[in-house]
Amino acid sequence: MTTTTINGRPLVLPDDPDALLIDVIRDGGLTGTKLVCGSGVCGACTVLLDGTPVVSCLLPAQAAADKSLTTIEGVGAAGLHPVQKAFMAHDALQCGFCTPGFVVEAAAFHDSWRATKGAATPSREEIAAALSGHLCRCGAYEGIYRAVAEACSGRFDGNDPIAPRLEARDKVTGLARYTVDIHHDGQLEGVILRAHVAHARITGLDLAPARAIAGVTAVVPLLDDDNMVRFVGAPIAAVAAKDRRTALKAIAAISFKPEPLPAVIGLDAARRDDAPVVFEKKDRKRAGNVSEGAGGAPVSWKGNVRGPSAPFSQKARQAKSWLDEARQQGNPLLVEETFRVSTQQHASLEPHAAVARFDGDQLTVHISTQAIHESMEKIAKRYGLPHDKVRVIADHVGGGFGSKGSLGLETIAAIELARAAKAPVRVAFDREEELSVTGYRPAAELKLSLLPSTEGRLKALSLTAHADTGAAVNSLIAGLARLIYPAEAKELVDFDVLSNLPPGAPFRGPGGPPMSFALEQAVDEAALRMKVDPIHLRRLWDPDPNRQRLYDWAAGLDVWKNRKPAASQTGRYRRGVGVATGYWLYLWQTGSSIELATKGGRIVASCAVQDIGTGTRSVIANTVAKAFDLEPQDVEVRIGRSNLPPGPGSGGSRVTASVVPPTLLAIDKLKAEIKRTASRTPAPGSNAPWREMIAASPDIAVSARRQEDGKPPPGVRPALHEAGIMGRVFGWVLRLMNHMVVGAGVPSSVQVMEVEVDTWLGHVRVLNAYTGLAVGKLAAPTLARSQAAGAVIQGIGYALYESRETDPLSGHVLSGSMEDYRIPGIGDMPKLEVHFDEAGFEHVPGGSVGIGEVATVPTSPAIANAIRDAIGVRLTEIPFRPDRLVAALKGRDAA
Amino acid sequence: MSVAVVTAKPTPEFRAGGTDFSERRRSGVSQGMLIDISATGDKTITWDADGAAQIGALTTIATIATDARIAAAYPGIAASAHGLATPQVRQVATLGGNLAQRSRCWYFRRADIDCLKKSGSTCPARSGNHLYGVAFDLGDCVAPHPSTMAAALLAYDATITTDRRSGLTIAGLLGDGSVSHADHTLAAGEMIKSIALPAPLEGERASYKRAISRTYAEWPLVELCARVVIAGGKFQLVRLAAGGVAPVPLRLTAAEVALSGKIANAASIAEAAKAATSGAQPLPMTAYKLDLLQGLMRDVLERLSDELVAHATKPL
Repeated sequence: MTTTTINGRPLVLPDDPDALLIDVIRDGGLTGTKLVCGSGVCGACTVLLDGTPVVSCLLPAQAAADKSLTTIEGVGAAGLHPVQKAFMAHDALQCGFCTPGFVVEAAAFHDSWRATKGAATPSREEIAAALSGHLCRCGAYEGIYRAVAEACSGRFDGNDPIAPRLEARDKVTGLARYTVDIHHDGQLEGVILRAHVAHARITGLDLAPARAIAGVTAVVPLLDDDNMVRFVGAPIAAVAAKDRRTALKAIAAISFKPEPLPAVIGLDAARRDDAPVVFEKKDRKRAGNVSEGAGGAPVSWKGNVRGPSAPFSQKARQAKSWLDEARQQGNPLLVEETFRVSTQQHASLEPHAAVARFDGDQLTVHISTQAIHESMEKIAKRYGLPHDKVRVIADHVGGGFGSKGSLGLETIAAIELARAAKAPVRVAFDREEELSVTGYRPAAELKLSLLPSTEGRLKALSLTAHADTGAAVNSLIAGLARLIYPAEAKELVDFDVLSNLPPGAPFRGPGGPPMSFALEQAVDEAALRMKVDPIHLRRLWDPDPNRQRLYDWAAGLDVWKNRKPAASQTGRYRRGVGVATGYWLYLWQTGSSIELATKGGRIVASCAVQDIGTGTRSVIANTVAKAFDLEPQDVEVRIGRSNLPPGPGSGGSRVTASVVPPTLLAIDKLKAEIKRTASRTPAPGSNAPWREMIAASPDIAVSARRQEDGKPPPGVRPALHEAGIMGRVFGWVLRLMNHMVVGAGVPSSVQVMEVEVDTWLGHVRVLNAYTGLAVGKLAAPTLARSQAAGAVIQGIGYALYESRETDPLSGHVLSGSMEDYRIPGIGDMPKLEVHFDEAGFEHVPGGSVGIGEVATVPTSPAIANAIRDAIGVRLTEIPFRPDRLVAALKGRDAA
Repeated sequence: MSVAVVTAKPTPEFRAGGTDFSERRRSGVSQGMLIDISATGDKTITWDADGAAQIGALTTIATIATDARIAAAYPGIAASAHGLATPQVRQVATLGGNLAQRSRCWYFRRADIDCLKKSGSTCPARSGNHLYGVAFDLGDCVAPHPSTMAAALLAYDATITTDRRSGLTIAGLLGDGSVSHADHTLAAGEMIKSIALPAPLEGERASYKRAISRTYAEWPLVELCARVVIAGGKFQLVRLAAGGVAPVPLRLTAAEVALSGKIANAASIAEAAKAATSGAQPLPMTAYKLDLLQGLMRDVLERLSDELVAHATKPL
């Protein structure tokens, strides 16, 4: 028998030589240590082995024999470690799922740094090298740099700080419980059997051999009623067993006969005339949805190509004819280019996960979800249960980015297994599932033509997008180009190209970054040809008042004013500066409700909304605290439970604009109610009259629903109004079908990027990033900055590194691990300047709109334009990896 | 993801640090008997009177990266160790394990795809997606050898002792790249015991760099370990060992010859870099690796010659 010491307590290690340390730690109830990549890449499972950071996902449990282990729970056991305090104070976290690993590593770095260097401040490079074995998908790196530097310099040796993020303490200590951490007595582990061929009809499914295995409690079929699988990884059945190993054994025992059908993989192959058809006409309704809203008008199909869909075109024939004419005349101002964007995976660090349990007829489901209220409604509908018999819980969610917005297979499997097993069941996807079958931002081919008029205005624009949507439909990329840069005529056409790949899903500003990647490069190119400053041209072509102010800011940046022309650079390293613009819709959700109460002398705010790392709790707490002259920590915020008043989903950047206005209404009501029920008024001249009155208040509760906005000033209108009558129709459909309102005013971002290109090694580094944002007043300023920074680093990933790779014949996703799907690390984070322009949304109660999506839209084209500025070559396909850089440079040298 | 499992041949396998092994066991790609040698293996570094070192196979990569004497005598070894994987992995991974690790090919690593290194008869990467494949096409398998340390040891003429053989060169240990079913020539049950490095040459210097897309912690697209002796401003000895480009680490002998006796400056290095790709046969998706290889050669050698020039001109 071998033992180890974990956080000072003895623990017997299993004899099984295959047992891994992470499982021993987590099974022992220490769930602060997270399993993410399972391959030593992301560092979320980092623990200290005799004081040295190691990854517990790869370490054999036996390697800890007779040694001393420290997990995140042990780091701050005797009072918060300076690193933990610094992470809290600098908001060095968002969803928090990577945070325990970062904190453990940073604490070890801090301790050895202080032992040898005293209170010197480590450089960015030293911090990046020390933390290079960690990945954060939300992109909290900026705060992490500051936190580690200041902790090392001794700034956090004293008292515990006040964190701008309400739940920060739970996240830096490992106490925050995510869905994957839930454990009920008698809980079983569920695993899904998935197809390993891209297209087949499944017959002879026999679940009995799995049921016969000892330790297996339930087996359920998951095949659709047509018995078809249309992509590698399509679900066939699920098993619940006493542990994962038994469940894996059981799914391997399930027998079935796949009748293979011809498959077609990817955008180019699926468009060929002789391509096998993925969805026959009768099956088209089975396709998934890559957009946030419901589909609009019916769209025609031809083979695997769904479209054209062109509701936002404007005088399309006129645009075409002007562009043809310019082409024939060889008009030098006509910009024509085909751009390609790659498939981007959400890569949330907490996988899709659900834990379901039935207590009699009461169903409780913990889900890692972006929409608890909607999940409850969908579960109730699917299983014919009354709303009050379904409770959905999500206290903390380890990232979503759009992939956790709908009722997912993990939830369906957990519920059906729990029902069949009559026991609680957890289903948590492994990393390969997470990086292959949970959705993605589709790759696309974007054909663009842009024609300035002789007077220098934008005359005509044509954009045709073919999106690589896999087994899904409803991509909207080209159409989004209608809502910016008014022109005399626009031809904007979207196609879905379906193939035997997993279905795409909404991803942070669906369609926005690809559209912006093409359009913003074309505008940049037009400026080059017209020999005008690219910011000046945007000022001329883009009348939006929010962006006009952001252009003024960008044009005043030193990095912009001092940029050097590409022709002047000849060395190995070349620097360039680029600008790009982005917008997103201002959305809010009707019916969003909040309850405010006084309970035992405290204010409690309740809403069935979730926090996926964006800071929902803090937004509500700040709003309430400000009105009552309290500190945010004085307000108790209850979210993450579906039995609270209905709240919005975390999608479409709609949470802040949906919850702040009703909170303000509720505040007025509560104030009136507190005054009305007060037995005595506070002493005259009291410093904290509300604090006193709340403390003395009887328990009362008020609630409010999201009210309509006030009347916007002239010229401020919803983005959709740019698209005329079709835009208004689209808005009505969104409101009726999706309960989402497109409000007046356009959330906007202008970004300036400075890059350095290593022409020998094809390496691009973003040195400095400047992001200007107009998203109204900041409900939680520090957290808004964190979101802005995270959006930039995610955009850098999209531009430089990230690409789902598939096998072109079999349809297997090859980039199913974190080493092959490459998200940015801390060393890739540029120095960042964030500029918030807080005007423009005064008609919104509270003045705040969402930030998450708009902040990532212009990053990739700004980088593309900066590379063009540096090397004189325009790269048209992302990610700008070394292979593409050296090819482009060669092409230039050859020319 | 749980699907039909295609495994590597289930022979008994040694486990040292487990950083490669554990992932293959978890995914089911590797099965069979496990023999843990972490407690019993040799973790020591010993030095001969002439300055030659012997490194026990169980010595961790972090130890090699931070050992002051290794860094002084074999800077290319130390820099290679420092440049691979992540800090946490380097703490646990061993030199022997690094040499004996299995391919990182994404087809090999998937439990539902067969390949030459499992029971299959064809290489799915060759006809499929080989973005990270070889640019020197020496065998049927197109995966580059994953061992960074093997390339560094190749540059230093290291020899390997196993429990059955001694004096094995890196080529002897890993083969010539034509054998596709395995990543090394070790027989079933044969264990690497120690690695011997010849005494360093008078005045030699070395450097290492990998080309990657991000800043840190990525498998190399191409990597290069270079050793030089520069005297009288000329290259007296050049050793170039590249990883990431072939099924085995590759000596760039044509480039070494091209540099021999040449003035150590940017112009002669740039000229000789053209010879770095001599004999290359890139696949449709891997031609870029040849540009990176030339770029790396210029980067590493210019740095070394600049250092020496700076060193030589430094006032005493």
